[in-house]
Amino acid sequence: MAAARRLKRRMLRELVEDNLALRSRFPTARRRRRRSPLAALPILALALVPAGWALAAYLAGPGGDPGSGMAGMAMPAEIAAGGGAFSRPVRGPHSPPANGNGGGGGHAVPDTAASPDAPPFDPAAFPLAVERVVIDPGHGGDSFGTRTPSGLSEKELALDIARRARRFLERRGLEVVLTRDGDADLPLAARARRANDEGADLFVSIHLNWIENRSVRGVETYYLGPTDDPFLTQLAAAENRGSGYSLADLKRLVEEVYVGARQQESRRLAEHVQASLLTALRGINPAVEDRGVKTAPFIVLMTTEMPAILAEVSCLSNEREAELLARALYREHIAEAVATGIRAYAESLANPDVGGMS
Amino acid sequence: MSDKSKPLRVGIDLGTSRSSISTSDGQRHVVDSYVGWPVDMVARKVLKREVLVGREALDNRSMLELARPLEEGLIKEGSSRDEAAVRELLRHLLGLAGVEPGNGRVDAVVGVPAEALRVNKQSLRRALEGLVGGLMIVSEPFAVAYGLEALLHTMIVDIGAGTADFCVMKGRLPTEEDQRTLTLAGDWLDEQVALKIRERYPEAAFSIHMVRAWKERHSFVGEPRARVMVRVPVNGKPTEIDITEPLGASCESLLPPVIETMVDLLTRVEPEYQERVRNHIILAGGTALIGGLDKRLERELADIGGGKVKVVKDPIYCGSDGGLAIALDAPDSDWEKLSA
Repeated sequence: MAAARRLKRRMLRELVEDNLALRSRFPTARRRRRRSPLAALPILALALVPAGWALAAYLAGPGGDPGSGMAGMAMPAEIAAGGGAFSRPVRGPHSPPANGNGGGGGHAVPDTAASPDAPPFDPAAFPLAVERVVIDPGHGGDSFGTRTPSGLSEKELALDIARRARRFLERRGLEVVLTRDGDADLPLAARARRANDEGADLFVSIHLNWIENRSVRGVETYYLGPTDDPFLTQLAAAENRGSGYSLADLKRLVEEVYVGARQQESRRLAEHVQASLLTALRGINPAVEDRGVKTAPFIVLMTTEMPAILAEVSCLSNEREAELLARALYREHIAEAVATGIRAYAESLANPDVGGMS
Repeated sequence: MSDKSKPLRVGIDLGTSRSSISTSDGQRHVVDSYVGWPVDMVARKVLKREVLVGREALDNRSMLELARPLEEGLIKEGSSRDEAAVRELLRHLLGLAGVEPGNGRVDAVVGVPAEALRVNKQSLRRALEGLVGGLMIVSEPFAVAYGLEALLHTMIVDIGAGTADFCVMKGRLPTEEDQRTLTLAGDWLDEQVALKIRERYPEAAFSIHMVRAWKERHSFVGEPRARVMVRVPVNGKPTEIDITEPLGASCESLLPPVIETMVDLLTRVEPEYQERVRNHIILAGGTALIGGLDKRLERELADIGGGKVKVVKDPIYCGSDGGLAIALDAPDSDWEKLSA
């Protein structure tokens, strides 16, 4: 009896502390603002001008002539020659970067921290928040994406997971818009346009992976950036197929990509989602591999105006993962993990002092 | 209040479908979680009220702008109407317990779904501002466990209308890894039942409220005790239809995710305690009253070594009773720090 009383007392103490912490971390006056991450970008732009100059110099360097931007897309190795390897995973989700500036170890994509003249981007300086998320279930209609012999298709699974993630996010008070809520084949440009028109704060594209080595199972999350990895180039080419963009368009898009804040925030979002997926799925699928947070030139990530990621949430090419994906609960776990990652990123913006990955 | 010098302590279970309150002076009340405002002047004149709550709101819904503010157990963030509706609901619950709004001598413990975010809890705090003195927000399954004094090596499965909350009690305040929330719960079940009845009887006219009432009276898993016959208009003519199969099949479809989640949480328990947890599974919440659910879950657990599942004696009040137990055990000094 005495032990039970002690246990109750200890739990009550924890509960009271938990409630007191809740009050202090969320001052009532701090209400969220519409489209705040984007609203902050013009301000960030001023802070990032030096970084932009650094980038221009970087692109104009050996093999990085801005005038050959599309050539850089087609032959990423040339771009890489200007600044190092673009293709390696930025970092594992369980090894947070050393500071809040996103200077992930070995990450060669220029960001604010990459320029010695650029002031470091401190999210705490801008009361960012997330209100509206656009979730993009990959493929649809005639575009099945990857498919198993048993008939499981990427387009159906992506839509199912997106709908489930929407439910989780809406429960948490976020507005969620799906680029497609049915079996429609939406052009990539239209998906991005939808996100831009909706004034979304975040864009998350859901896909299922297909890897030639079918023993591989795992999750990987992308944000925008060039790559010299032939597999990723091939993957991006497959996902970009039918985008309707000309080479000139692509060149302009690459040049317009906001290399600083948006890319940095995209990476942070990708890190949160990747970490959340791994944490959630390893309990059920212990062999799931951390294939990392990576950069790749996906069209949907280029043309969106907010932090944007593309998550390959599972490998449909792996028999065991395909079996798991056929079960509603596994898809529920994936959706919940995606939502948890988004929520963790949003909370890290609202409360830069509390947790967060970077 | 029997002793005016002592603050009244209350436990509140804010549910998607029903909300209950248990008080330190021995009262218990439950209301349907509906709030409605008259749609126009005529409705206001007929109803003679600015706002209606609970069954009364549901019964007069044609004249009301009706809100069910706790979809999936949470207030929708940023929705001022839902926040206002929750406030009315809480005001009503406190009113039933004889508490005047703004009475600073009332301390409340309010249960929320297991995985509610800080932001959701903050909405709740705002809704309760000024209505009570002290306020503590707790995870609903934790409140249930506390009320039952089942704080160690126990799994609580609290299946309500909006969410199914799972929580393994490990002798500490549950962390995220100890808890799971599924949105496949009573409301989802209602939709499944309605869908299946509509497939079978396309001409039958019925509302989701009727389906909910049928489910609450007759739901089952396994073999039905009797055929479930209900009366509905078919092409305008009152007709008896057999909903045994749609009802049973829908209830069965809730089992796989519930079982998988239970097993998932069980496998995360330290191996030496898994058997003890398996033998102390407590089923709470309105949806836990599905006939035969406890025995069926026990049968499913046989695959992983067996287990015992008990339904709480009072699923309607176990959450608010648990909240009250916390409220009574917390010392005055803590309550002083927790003003709403």
